[in-house]
Amino acid sequence: MSSSRSFSIKSLLARHETVLVLVILFEVILFQVLGRNFLTGRNFSNVFRHSVEIGLLAVAMTPVILTGGIDLSVGSMMGLCAVLFGMMVNSLGMNPWLAGISAVAFGAMGGGVNALLITRLNLPPLIVTLGTFSLFRGLAEAITKGAESYSGFSPSFLALGNSNIAGLPAQIWVFFIVAAGIWFLVHRTTFGRSFRAIGYASEGARYAGIPVARNTSLAYIIAGAVAGLAAVILVARLGEARANAGIGYELLAITAVVLGGVSIFGGSGTVVGTILGWIALAILNNGLTRISDYKIMDQTVASVARELSGLLTGLLLLTALTIGASTKTLAVRHARKQSLAKPTSNPATS
Amino acid sequence: MNKYFRELTVAAALGLLMLGLAILAPHFFQFQPFISRLTSQMPALVAAIGIALIIISRQIDISIGSQFSMCAIIAGVTAASGLPLGVAIFAALGAGAMMGALNGVLVAYLGLPSIVVTLATMVTWQEALRLWQQGRLLNLPKGIQWFGLSQPAGQTIVISLAFILLIGAAWAMKNLAAGRFIYATGTDAEAARLAGIDPKRTTFGVFVLMGILAGLAAVFNLVQSPQVQPNCGDGLELKTIAAAVVGGVAISGGRGTLWGVLLGMLLLANVNPALTHFHQPPYWEKAIQGLVILLAVVADGIRSRKARL
Amino acid sequence: MKALLQLTDIRKSFGAVRALKGVSFELFPGEVHALLGENGAGKSTLIKVITGAHLPDGGTLVVAGEEVSNLSPSKARELGIACIYQQPALFPDLTVAENIGLRLKKTGVLHRVRWASQRTQAVELLHRIGAEISPDSEVRSLSMPEQQLVEIACALGSGARIVIMDEPTASLTQKEQHLLFKVVRDLRASGVGVVYISHRLEEIFALADRVTVLRDGESVGTNAVESLTEAQMIKLMVGREVSSIYPPSEGEPREVVLSLKNLGCAASGVTGVTLDVRAGEIVGMAGLVGAGRTELARILFGITPADSGEIYLNGERISISNPREAIARGIAYVPEDRRRHGVILEMPIAHNMTMAIHPKFFPGSILRFKAESLLARDFIRDLGIKAYGPEAPGGSLSGGNQQKVSVARWLATKPKLLILDEPTQGVDVGAKSEIHKIIRGLAKEGLAVLMISSDLPEVLGMSDRVAVMRVGKLVELISKENADAHTVMAAALGTNGKDAA
Repeated sequence: MSSSRSFSIKSLLARHETVLVLVILFEVILFQVLGRNFLTGRNFSNVFRHSVEIGLLAVAMTPVILTGGIDLSVGSMMGLCAVLFGMMVNSLGMNPWLAGISAVAFGAMGGGVNALLITRLNLPPLIVTLGTFSLFRGLAEAITKGAESYSGFSPSFLALGNSNIAGLPAQIWVFFIVAAGIWFLVHRTTFGRSFRAIGYASEGARYAGIPVARNTSLAYIIAGAVAGLAAVILVARLGEARANAGIGYELLAITAVVLGGVSIFGGSGTVVGTILGWIALAILNNGLTRISDYKIMDQTVASVARELSGLLTGLLLLTALTIGASTKTLAVRHARKQSLAKPTSNPATS
Repeated sequence: MNKYFRELTVAAALGLLMLGLAILAPHFFQFQPFISRLTSQMPALVAAIGIALIIISRQIDISIGSQFSMCAIIAGVTAASGLPLGVAIFAALGAGAMMGALNGVLVAYLGLPSIVVTLATMVTWQEALRLWQQGRLLNLPKGIQWFGLSQPAGQTIVISLAFILLIGAAWAMKNLAAGRFIYATGTDAEAARLAGIDPKRTTFGVFVLMGILAGLAAVFNLVQSPQVQPNCGDGLELKTIAAAVVGGVAISGGRGTLWGVLLGMLLLANVNPALTHFHQPPYWEKAIQGLVILLAVVADGIRSRKARL
Repeated sequence: MKALLQLTDIRKSFGAVRALKGVSFELFPGEVHALLGENGAGKSTLIKVITGAHLPDGGTLVVAGEEVSNLSPSKARELGIACIYQQPALFPDLTVAENIGLRLKKTGVLHRVRWASQRTQAVELLHRIGAEISPDSEVRSLSMPEQQLVEIACALGSGARIVIMDEPTASLTQKEQHLLFKVVRDLRASGVGVVYISHRLEEIFALADRVTVLRDGESVGTNAVESLTEAQMIKLMVGREVSSIYPPSEGEPREVVLSLKNLGCAASGVTGVTLDVRAGEIVGMAGLVGAGRTELARILFGITPADSGEIYLNGERISISNPREAIARGIAYVPEDRRRHGVILEMPIAHNMTMAIHPKFFPGSILRFKAESLLARDFIRDLGIKAYGPEAPGGSLSGGNQQKVSVARWLATKPKLLILDEPTQGVDVGAKSEIHKIIRGLAKEGLAVLMISSDLPEVLGMSDRVAVMRVGKLVELISKENADAHTVMAAALGTNGKDAA
């Protein structure tokens, strides 16, 4: 949890974040040795430029998962917001920045629909967001009649997706602002505290007078709004708004969150962990495309990098889950042993 | 309230849809197209039986689309290499059982939430398949199509087998101890344990069964066309979960019947053909599907809220 | 005669809490063996060990002459052990016949269920215990006593040789009680061993052959029932004279803080409650489980808002529609289920203590870690909480210390009215008297205290007045001078006192 004052090597190693940093370092070394042009400024710009949308979704998914919920609809929400954005700019002739803000507002409204169904009707988040997952994507497809796309955006808007500011991709700065905001919310405000309380024991939180429905709603609304923002950034990068924007992104975002050590049962986890989980995934994706000297199934690794990184992502998620579950069991066993060994001692083993 | 209220509501909705079609688009009921359409819905029905059992035991499995694709390709490759059809079917069912067993171990014995486990296995199988097949269509040997019979005969076999399976499963859920283990585990795993049921084994078993049914569904799909695509199972999880939820299987576990699932399946599967027959654009299918899922859970939510007060 | 069941030196801990510290117990065929002990003495844990729901950490368990290790619920059932739990463990969505069928015998997965014969059997079993319940109704629609009768039918049907009854009469009517007694005697006559748990001493005298008393997780003695008097039994349970352990009340109660007029809530079955609670006064709430006491507390705390009657706080008429409003008005509620509602076990105790004062303590919603830690240290010192610091997770503390954390959370709100629901349930004796001192101290400082308790000595010892509830109504208000075990139990049971303790 937050302020632990001891800095022994053992406790540092036990922290999930440390393990992730080591994993990232390992990845960097591996790809530098095996791949070509991996450790270059340009490539690293690319790593983050091409995955910032997933980073945004992952960071915004963190509060939702902390409350013990899940939001499967964020990828579809991106598709819907992208299409709405394209329509506002192209068909209605709206200023792209104004349209961008509207897209974020639509995202927040979509999140509000999830929140309403989950908190007011007490429906399970899984099934509600599975329904909106289908609904939002379906609306996007219906608006574009399954095929149309919007393009021809102004260069000043496209710069958001393709230019650099102070040596870093423009959208990375947006990510920094959003991530810092959500970090503050989760770790420094009573909202973050209540997300955890709700995740650990939502009834217990209610008995302590925490506005459970209101705060849970906030998490879903933020997730929706950030999905809208991610859609705008994606459109700015690709120069095109299509109904299939963000397909499968919810999985990648959830993977990043779980890899980042946020408990899928709710309650524990950090925003920094999520960001590290996302970086580890992003480097994996990019690194594989740099390996052209090695072959797998008669193809160079680079040419099947997408499939390979998808496969590895899935396996990684499974491994992380398994390790998470086994350490939980081990911790329980350990605690029991300790309390048995010293039956009369002060009951202060965690 | 009547125990079968939901089933009756869905049946009424389905009846209305059919009535509307009969009046406005009678060619919907021409025999051969109707049978063909029904046949093409059978693989999803078989998978929906599995998903219903999963949801009744208070779990979820969103990896079944990937399982389905994987089984279809494995069976296809086996058949394409010249082995007899029986071996191909066996390979599909075996592969399904193994994939289901992996989900089952992680969910039942490691206590991980099924949504995340199956999300992970979904991605894993999907990408493994893409890596393996590179998106190629797989051509199937002649003898596979319709089990080497004529199309009408093959269609009859597929439809009858699927319905026999459904009736058998519905009977088993009511009359075999296994059925009650599943209902009991889904209602209250701790109470089930105290009653001497092993909820872990039950959950594991249901996931394995789901895998086998996904394999069988893949076989039913395989025999319908000369080729098989590595993404043939995409979206199957949503389709089946929607059918189960609409058919009155409570997402909170322990409640629901396979008859409801059948009705839900038929209602949802006919939305799109109905749209075409009413001369409406088909792009609304997914949105309608999502809306129907939400309507069904909202109805459940309001109902259980009333029950609580 | 060979013992049906023999437990030797059974030990069991949960985290740091040692629920059983070496319990020995034996049961013979054709015997009703009562298990007696205060709340939290370890009775429930012991039962769960016998039924295989908990694995003991140490000790031996011998069933019918054979040592059993790794007992599981299904294995226990094979060995002929059946249990009727306090909270029936039935499946609400299944019918009565299905529920009974599930328990009758262990079946393979592919075993065919003979619905007709099973239903006949269920009817026969229900008839045997004289229960008028339709086998086809869903368990969801049954009342608690009816569900308990179904549990008994299950145990009978499984042909158990060892039947455990955990406070089976807690919510039964007189008529149902007599039926139950008859069933127990029939069981004994047929050579079954019955472990009978009850708080009601008169039941033990009426039914049991021997009695074993548990105290703080240890067995303090097994005796033939006729060799003991009621007073001796109580002394064995409590371990000391009842009167001496409660802090005396001091000073006169002051102004009325809470005033209820005809308060009710249809959904939770509470009707027409009229009651005043004064500053400086502890009003004890007695009644049977399910009498509506917790429900009343939940109404006052806004969890299930009232739909009739009036609530006055310091003379002002108020309505409370959610816990936040209640907190803002100065009402605090230390809930009954500590582990689910009182303390969030995974979170540090400092976080737990500030949880109810977020808006006041953290202006602008921004956390102040230092101030929080200081506040927690103060409470740890003032309430004597044993923990390694404000960062210790709630779950690492013993039950009594968790309860103090829960109390601290509510004291932090600086309430006018403190509602305590079973404040010492599952708390060891030492912590119990500390909590009693804290409660009395708070009353002395001018808090109005409403204390719900099923622990009769506690209600009698702590209360300035005793309010007794029965089936959702406040049936009697008894002054301290007139309150004794007999009058309170009689009011709670609704008898003229003949059958009450």
